Amino acid sequence: MDVFFANAISFGVIFLFGCVGEILTEKSGHLNLGIPGIMCMGAAGGCLGVKLCTAGVANPSGVLAVIMGILFAMIFAGALGAVYAFLTVSLRSNQNVTGLACTIFGVGFTSFFLNNVVLTEGVSTALSNAGLKFFNAHIPGTENLGWFGTIFLSHGILVYLAIIIAVVATVVLRYTKVGLNLRAVGENPATADAVGINVTGYKYSFIISGAAIAGLGGLCYVMGYMNGIVGSTVDQTIQGIGWLSIALVIFTLWKPALAILGSIVFGMLYILASRITGISFEQIPLLNMIPYIVTILVLIVTSIVGHRETQPPASLGLSYFREDR
Amino acid sequence: MERIKEPFIHITKREPMPLWKSLCIRFGAVLIALIICAIFISASAPNSKGFFGYFGSLFSGAFGTERRFWLLLQQTGLLLCVALALVVAFRMKFWNLGGNGQVLMGCLACAMCMYYLGGKTADPLVWLLMLIASIAAGAIWAVIPAIFKAFFNTNESLFTLMMNYVALYLVAFFVSHWYPEGTGAMPPLTDANLPSLGSGQAGRSLLTVIVAIVVTALIYCYLRFTKHGYEISLIGDSKNTARYAGISVKKVIIRTLILSGALCGLVGFLLVGSINHMVSTSMDGNMGFTGIMVAWMGKFNPLIMAGISFFINFLSRGMAQVCTDFGFTSEALSDIVVGLIYFFFIGCEFFIVYKVHFNFKKHHGREEPAFSMSASSEDGTSERTGVEREETEKSAPAEGMEAGKSESTKTQQPKETEQIQQSELEADAPENEGAAVKAGEDKKTSRKKNARKAMEEN
Repeated sequence: MDVFFANAISFGVIFLFGCVGEILTEKSGHLNLGIPGIMCMGAAGGCLGVKLCTAGVANPSGVLAVIMGILFAMIFAGALGAVYAFLTVSLRSNQNVTGLACTIFGVGFTSFFLNNVVLTEGVSTALSNAGLKFFNAHIPGTENLGWFGTIFLSHGILVYLAIIIAVVATVVLRYTKVGLNLRAVGENPATADAVGINVTGYKYSFIISGAAIAGLGGLCYVMGYMNGIVGSTVDQTIQGIGWLSIALVIFTLWKPALAILGSIVFGMLYILASRITGISFEQIPLLNMIPYIVTILVLIVTSIVGHRETQPPASLGLSYFREDR
Repeated sequence: MERIKEPFIHITKREPMPLWKSLCIRFGAVLIALIICAIFISASAPNSKGFFGYFGSLFSGAFGTERRFWLLLQQTGLLLCVALALVVAFRMKFWNLGGNGQVLMGCLACAMCMYYLGGKTADPLVWLLMLIASIAAGAIWAVIPAIFKAFFNTNESLFTLMMNYVALYLVAFFVSHWYPEGTGAMPPLTDANLPSLGSGQAGRSLLTVIVAIVVTALIYCYLRFTKHGYEISLIGDSKNTARYAGISVKKVIIRTLILSGALCGLVGFLLVGSINHMVSTSMDGNMGFTGIMVAWMGKFNPLIMAGISFFINFLSRGMAQVCTDFGFTSEALSDIVVGLIYFFFIGCEFFIVYKVHFNFKKHHGREEPAFSMSASSEDGTSERTGVEREETEKSAPAEGMEAGKSESTKTQQPKETEQIQQSELEADAPENEGAAVKAGEDKKTSRKKNARKAMEEN
């Protein structure tokens, strides 16, 4: 049971990265349906970064590998986020359509990139070694702390990074001037513009940083949860996780702090199928369905209850053109 | 004199552009994307056949043999049907992102009829049941989100997305239920296959093509000439207006989504009954998402959408051939190319709707803004703006198409318009990673275009 909770946390943070990234994006008034593609890009970039400093290197440095993985994941994901930002902020195109194009591109790119560039001979072993030794290295001595150690202290660095990012995002959104300005941009860009807030700047910076954070989710899936083992369907799996992360934003009422809890619940639901013993082969798909059905139920319930506080940013999905009055 | 800080870029809405101009911009954008892909792929492929070899492979993959051509038509028909199914919902601003799931449910229902009834009942009866079951399954899968949208305003895009995955796992469940010993793949069923309408691939694809043509014609008429079509457009424009006009918005949403899902189910019927005779979790071929792009790029017009879906399928089938010829191991290359085309296509819409002015003297703290936000009464200002607007419009089709103008133009014609175009294109450049390569390549063609423009201006 302890192991189940530990696994739920280490899987849940994948949702957490995606969810926090999407929250930051949505707070700036942009619904980014490209998150699944962006998370895939993060996985591709992370694999490339880790490959660069482990494959063929005699004594690879763990710190360097982790930093390079994180850096490349953020760069790749941020690049696709920048394309999305350019198209929707500067060129004012439809956000849903642009997001879907990002997803199609990102998933295709990752599938291609992993097959042709990253997973050439000898790299798979280097990646899985790095995943096991560097990304999942946990604090020594925690094995003896019983259930507490297993659940909370047995994780790799990415899990703690996710929680730190979620906490920082909460603080920034709620208690700083930057967060206040960002929320103003998302609620009513015209008013924010009139006050003198740089609407375009805020939108760009938070869409791109949101994408970079979401990209870490892809890295976390490949290097953290899968221990660096890159399968052939990795892009499809991350795509499914990405859609759930977007749905999780509604579930957690646009609050990164709640997202920590929500993502762990989703993590539990998601790994249920692979953890329950004594079920037949054909029942597995029915268990896999559970997180999606729960999401649907949550969507329905939140729409029926519909409090004032549970509403999305008012101008979510609308392009802002200064001269449209 | 007070120093006014002018924004460097000033964007205004354009007057509606003539059709041919907007078409030129779109074709130009697609052409640039194609050329970028060609350069990258022919430069980086392990077994490259060069820049022109790339286009050769592209065309031979799509049109090379009679079989390939019929497959292209078949895929076009399927994609077009899905896109048409989605477009009826989009016209109402209902984001049906669940095309994949609705197609899969149609496939599953059809496969169920074939599995349980095939060989036991007369074939024509099974065909009829397959058709009804597929359409009903697709419609049910679409109407569930529609009901919640109509009554509780539930977020339909996420709801339909989640329904995709529920459908996917349902298919996985039934496949492993039917073939527990198998590897998760289902062998083709031999009973109750729809008959082939001729010999070879042509006969197998003909049914799909005919259905697609009929559906296109019907949907075109439905949206254009019927009361239902008018109600859908009205709700898309303004729900309140529609309600005020006495239209029951809830009823229309549910009715339209039944139609949308039913069409997706019909595609599932064709996929399983006529083409594959089995069902798998990837049978939808991501057509639900591609269909959205087709609908959007086709401006929700069924006839333009037919052209777009032909083009998208031409690319993806052609790219499969390019992958084989150029020695790539992953077929996903076509997704990258198609994705890039989407980006360019989406991006170029901006240049059709908006016009960009650049303000080059911003740093000098000027007395007289060149493009004042309010209607300025100073003669010089308004005159200059007027002239510029005219000139920018004259050369509008060139905007967005050309990149990297040759240096000579700037010195020959030191007009601001030229610089406007220059910088506008530079601003456009960060969108693609291959800007540098593109600039070099396009220098050749841009000289020709400049000459032509000079002739036009004289």
